[in-house]
Amino acid sequence: MELAHVLNGLRDPMGVPFYPWFFQVLMVLTFALHIIFVNLAIGGTFMAFYEHYKKGEYNKKLSGFLARSSTVNLSAAVVLGVAPLLFVQVIYDPFWYVSTVLSAWWAVGFLIFVTVAFLALYAFYLKRKGEAMKGFGFFGVASFVLLLLAAFVMNLISVQFLEPEKWKAWYLTGTMMNTSGTTIYDFRISRYLHYIVASFAITGVFMMLYGWFFSKREDMDKDYLHWVASSGAKLALWSTVVAMIVGVWWLLSVPSKLNFVSNPFLIIGVLLGVVFLIVLILAQKEPEKYAMWSALFAFVAVLGMSTAREVLRMVYLGKFNYSIYTYKLNLNLGSTALFLLTFIMGIIVMAYPLAVAWKLGRYGKTNEEGA
Amino acid sequence: MYPLFEWHGVGNGMLMAIIATYHILPCHLATGAFWITYFMERKAYQENDMDMLDFLKKYSLLVLIFCFVTGSLTGAGIWYAATVISPRAISGLIHNYVWGWATEWVFFLIEIVTIYTYYYTFEKISPKAHMRIGLIYAMSAWFSMVIITGILGFMLTPGKWVQTGGFFDGFFNPSYWPQLFVRTAFMFVVGGAYAAIVASFMKNPDVKEKAMKVAAKWGLGGLVVGGVFTIWYFAKIPAVSRTIIFNDLGFTQTMFKIAIVAGVLLFIYFVIWGLKRARTASPITAIIAMLILFVGICAGETMREMARRPYLIPHYMLSNQMIDHDMKAKGVTSEVAKFDKTGVLPAYYFAPDSVKKINESNFMAAGRILTKLECISCHTLETSGFLSIPRLMVGFGAKTPSEVHDFLDALGDYDYMPPFVGTETEKRAMAAYIASLVDPNQKIDPAWVVAGK
Ligand code: HEC
Repeated sequence: MELAHVLNGLRDPMGVPFYPWFFQVLMVLTFALHIIFVNLAIGGTFMAFYEHYKKGEYNKKLSGFLARSSTVNLSAAVVLGVAPLLFVQVIYDPFWYVSTVLSAWWAVGFLIFVTVAFLALYAFYLKRKGEAMKGFGFFGVASFVLLLLAAFVMNLISVQFLEPEKWKAWYLTGTMMNTSGTTIYDFRISRYLHYIVASFAITGVFMMLYGWFFSKREDMDKDYLHWVASSGAKLALWSTVVAMIVGVWWLLSVPSKLNFVSNPFLIIGVLLGVVFLIVLILAQKEPEKYAMWSALFAFVAVLGMSTAREVLRMVYLGKFNYSIYTYKLNLNLGSTALFLLTFIMGIIVMAYPLAVAWKLGRYGKTNEEGA
Repeated sequence: MYPLFEWHGVGNGMLMAIIATYHILPCHLATGAFWITYFMERKAYQENDMDMLDFLKKYSLLVLIFCFVTGSLTGAGIWYAATVISPRAISGLIHNYVWGWATEWVFFLIEIVTIYTYYYTFEKISPKAHMRIGLIYAMSAWFSMVIITGILGFMLTPGKWVQTGGFFDGFFNPSYWPQLFVRTAFMFVVGGAYAAIVASFMKNPDVKEKAMKVAAKWGLGGLVVGGVFTIWYFAKIPAVSRTIIFNDLGFTQTMFKIAIVAGVLLFIYFVIWGLKRARTASPITAIIAMLILFVGICAGETMREMARRPYLIPHYMLSNQMIDHDMKAKGVTSEVAKFDKTGVLPAYYFAPDSVKKINESNFMAAGRILTKLECISCHTLETSGFLSIPRLMVGFGAKTPSEVHDFLDALGDYDYMPPFVGTETEKRAMAAYIASLVDPNQKIDPAWVVAGK
């Protein structure tokens, strides 16, 4: 059987309820949001225990803030991750399912790693205070290691995803099927490190934002805030440099016959990364002033790279004549409208608590109505 | 069809059961607890009761960590487990209901934003604003239940969807409204049980008595109303599902009894410690009551899952992930009809090419693959684990290939098992393989497998 035929045969026979490009756009967009919070959780957890083990009052304070915010960021990453997880299964179901089933225990383990990481992080956050509690740094370390492991699972699933030509040989040994789900068939370290190092860049920007956000507050120590923002700017700058070097390493691992190096989407993605780097260089002197700009360009760069990632996926799978745009369409406008209307309503509803939280954080108080 | 995953010696069903059990308590608490929190917060502000506020603050952290966060993680866990066990069924559900899940996700977003804001703004913003945020959380949690109920109900009673494939035909299915009312009523029971725990920790006996009474009223009301709606619900599910639950399987009959006993015990708890001895109610009994409730909910959910057999997607996809229905509206044709003629193995890309045509030297390998494809979603092939086939076969009294073959012939007569799918030769290959599991030492005649005589 020809592979293109097999892949299309694995698709869901009921087809998709709306145009595939729309799911693709939503997938890329929500993935970008998701990965930013993943970055914050990974980088933030590391920095939280790193600062915890350092001496100094500022370090302790920063450690506390990062531990607390990482719990929030991790749960945001989980909730935001649901959307791309859903949409990838709509348009790339054959690839996602085969890759996941082949390493089934790792996929299930992923959730166990994240759950335990979350609980460990909370234990670290709640118990870390005071000299006697220094030992609780262990929980921070454990949480970080588990998050690294979870990220690794996503790496292997995404890499196996791209190699349909190898699936059958992986699965079969003679006439025996490997149904154990414990085997890891492939992964890509360069790609993995590219994400992990970027976590520190995003976390650095987050620290800059922190310094900026609370700068108006009378009850906060100005020197401390400035110290956080400057450390963040430095962290962001150097991590971005390293991430770029790792990125080149990863690019070298992409088969040259795919011609991805000259792909316009990749070039745009890289350029956006360079712009972000320039903003960070400018930001070193007055990190608070550039905090919002850095955040904006970080987001744009992440979005650009998520797009390039999706384009690369299409290039890879194009080799097997797979295109999401040929997915059978069984248009269902009613349910599409249900989602879009709920989504708009959701944004309006969320604006209220977010505005309350923003005002309270930035000015330390709110008016009578709370907003 | 996709590659297979097998939890050797334990059973795939067990994986699902473990994760689902971990999901049940947090997910129900995440929906039920905040109504009570809202209600109590209002009372606390009215009566200027600072102890109560401290308490609520502590408890909303618990709801946040153990209910909201572990609830969403174990919820994703169910999704992952179902993916590795039955990827095609998850695919089918997603391709039908992607906008339903996406809508559900919007409510998750609202929930996460409001629950964190609620927790971190305790006593820092005006009571009115704070309570409003709590209320938004409670409402969006309920709305996420409104959505998930449509999909869960669909999986048992698909209604007109079977013909039309329409989103709303499946969503507002025959058991939708009864199930929504049952779930909403029990949401308040969960809330009441949770409030009883909160109240039982309170120091001031007057406050405690008041809070306990509130908890008991919510709990009792939910139990009575939920009980009535449950009867309506049972009337709405298909007759075959009722037969499976109440006649076919001893297991589900036990579950039903457990659920009833749990309900009665909770009723007694709320009457005695909630109304009569509210002043002296202790945390231990409150926690025990919550555990009893948990067991009851588990029993109820298990029955609902069993009642879906032998389908993963009702009247559409069997437990072996094969489609047995022509859905003209969506251009889908039955695979079972096709496989019965031309065979399962030739259509399964992930089977080795050498077994696609069965002969005297490959029939064991062919039988093994067929058995895994058609049986491991419910059974194990080892002698240990959940519903072991060799053990069940011994119990049934089939040992030789031809006895097993006769059993496979009648498979479709069981309410809860899908029929055998494939050609006659494939059936004999499966029979030979299963017979070799029951008694590895017996001699199996290859000519019988290939030629049928
Ligand atoms: C949808 C899930 C499901 C599938 C798929 C399934 N079974 Fe079963 N099977 C059950 C259940 C449930 C029971 C009842 C166990 C009990 O009575 O406690 C059962 C019982 C049995 C029994 C005992 C019957 C008796 O009357 O004592 C045998 C033998 C059996 N199954 C074999 C198989 C074989 C072989 C396959 C694959 C072709 C298969 N089953 C597929 C769910 C399934």
